[in-house]
Amino acid sequence: MSEATAKRHMGLKTSRAISNTAIHVLLIVISIIWLIPFVCIVLQSFRVENTGPVGYVMPKVWGTDNYVKLFQTDFPRWYTNTFIAALATAVLQTIIVLCMSYTLSRFRFKMRQPLMRFMLILGMFPGMLSMIILYRVLKDLGLTQANAVPGLILVYVASSGMGYYVSKGFFDTIPMSLDEAARVDGATRAKILYKIILPLSKPIVIYTVLTAFMGPWGDYVFARYIAFGTSAGKNVAVGLYDWLNKDQISNCYTMFCAGGVLVALPVTILFLFLQKYYVEGVTGGAVKG
Amino acid sequence: MASVKLTDVKKVYDNKVTAVHDFNLEIMDKEFVVFVGPSGCGKSTTLRMIAGLEDISDGTLEIDGEVVNDLQPKDRDIAMVFQNYALYPHMTVYDNIAFSLRLKKVPEDEVYDRVTNAAKILGITEYLTRKPRALSGGQRQRVAIGRAMVRNAKVFLMDEPLSNLDAKLRNQMRAEIILLRQKLDTTFIYVTHDQTEAMTLGDRIVIMKDGYIEQVGTPQEVFDTPVNLFVAGFIGSPQMNFLKANLVKGGNSYYVELLDVKLPLNDEQNAVLAQKGVGSQEIILGVRPEHTTVLFDNAEDAIECTIDVNEMMGSELHLHLRSKNDDKIIVRLPTVDLSKEQRASLSYGNKMYITFPAKVMHLFDPETEKSLIDG
Repeated sequence: MSEATAKRHMGLKTSRAISNTAIHVLLIVISIIWLIPFVCIVLQSFRVENTGPVGYVMPKVWGTDNYVKLFQTDFPRWYTNTFIAALATAVLQTIIVLCMSYTLSRFRFKMRQPLMRFMLILGMFPGMLSMIILYRVLKDLGLTQANAVPGLILVYVASSGMGYYVSKGFFDTIPMSLDEAARVDGATRAKILYKIILPLSKPIVIYTVLTAFMGPWGDYVFARYIAFGTSAGKNVAVGLYDWLNKDQISNCYTMFCAGGVLVALPVTILFLFLQKYYVEGVTGGAVKG
Repeated sequence: MASVKLTDVKKVYDNKVTAVHDFNLEIMDKEFVVFVGPSGCGKSTTLRMIAGLEDISDGTLEIDGEVVNDLQPKDRDIAMVFQNYALYPHMTVYDNIAFSLRLKKVPEDEVYDRVTNAAKILGITEYLTRKPRALSGGQRQRVAIGRAMVRNAKVFLMDEPLSNLDAKLRNQMRAEIILLRQKLDTTFIYVTHDQTEAMTLGDRIVIMKDGYIEQVGTPQEVFDTPVNLFVAGFIGSPQMNFLKANLVKGGNSYYVELLDVKLPLNDEQNAVLAQKGVGSQEIILGVRPEHTTVLFDNAEDAIECTIDVNEMMGSELHLHLRSKNDDKIIVRLPTVDLSKEQRASLSYGNKMYITFPAKVMHLFDPETEKSLIDG
């Protein structure tokens, strides 16, 4: 290597190092800004000396009192409500979405295009529009207040078929000849979906389960009016938020923070383990569809 | 092992395009039939209708005497090899081959026996634990064949199985398919666009164009007696030469007049033409490149040509000639009998003379494009 090329080589190396450092600094700053609220909530949940909102972040007295007290309230009931609703929705919605996507990806029937277009347009209306009528229907069915959980599952699952876009896009990338080979080999359509398509679509299945779980887990609006003030029918979001009204906030603020940490925990763990598939799922569906 | 019978089978797509018109064919038990034709001729569609992957718009399809029009592919007892292999990517080679047997709930011992036996025949035993993506194209194709083999199906369908392979591998696999056919001894239907594959593999060839059957026959028949211009041009490589000429009737015999040269026909040809009542008319004369007689000196019934291109193929030369009329003629000339002087004379711009013996001349009507003698 001549001296000039060696010099240029060094120059390139230094400039790359500088740009790498700059990018890392930027990312660190962004993640700090991002993490501050979470860190604050975690810290507040361990504060013992004052149960209301205060003007500082670091607790003066540390302890787990808030968590202990949390379990003497209705919180476990809310947590169970939310978990049941989210789990049931995750299972049912995943099955419906995957079957719908497979049908729209593989079968050719007369109303296929109009149906897809119709669902696209329908999806543009905010779901809140149906709030009043849904409430009436659920009330007549006796699925509000204390019976809110089955009512909520019904609302969450009812429109799942419309969320087919991402998984249909993914299924479209799996060659049709695999289905045909399996059909000739003696498989039924259900077996093809179960034995060929789904094993090849792991990322999209996980993505569907996660999104189906996340919706009910963080839902506030629907859960709020279906529970309609009955504590037994609330989910965590509604229950915890009610602690922030002006009568209760001074007693319940730190408990609210503890509840928030417990709500975030399962989702965080899920994402930590499944994030690889989640990213593949989001981008995989985006390639074609 | 079964016969396949197609009666007036038709395929009309939703957009009203007719891909296959009134397809009539009876395939015997244990016969190897090849559908061949240019892309878009309906050969794959016909095969997929037999497989049950496409609906049959009209007509009946019988396998082993039973009408199967409305049966699902899984109930037709057929095996199929796809052009792009269609191996299940998440399964090992073993599981791929065993898939159909397991669906049929065959006991695992027997599955093992049949899979390992098929793998042995195809020489893929060492790859049984691999996933398809770790295999080369040729190996994948073997797995695809293995998957079809273990089923012991009544009919074996192959949709352009060799067209994704390179030329050398294709030749090798072609020979292996012939061997496989002898071992399996079942009914084969094979689709290809390659006339060499069709000629070497088929007991009978079905030549298709635009959804119609042009000719059905043994490889020898379609080569020797093509019934129309399309078949004549499609079968054989390089393609048959077509020249504008005149058929002239003189008394009871006919001759072909090409560039002032009179080429007499033989008795058999004369008899057929006379029986059909053909008069003097314009014709298209077809002569295969390998059937042309090359003369180095002028003779009375020889056509004078100029050499445009001389392609050396090893055992033979392909000469691209131009006649006085600017007709282009390709001639295949074996090199083994040529003297040094003769070889030297075969260069660009030189004159040479060719003639056609009666028995190699194919006469076609320019209007109907049908053969005046055959068919």
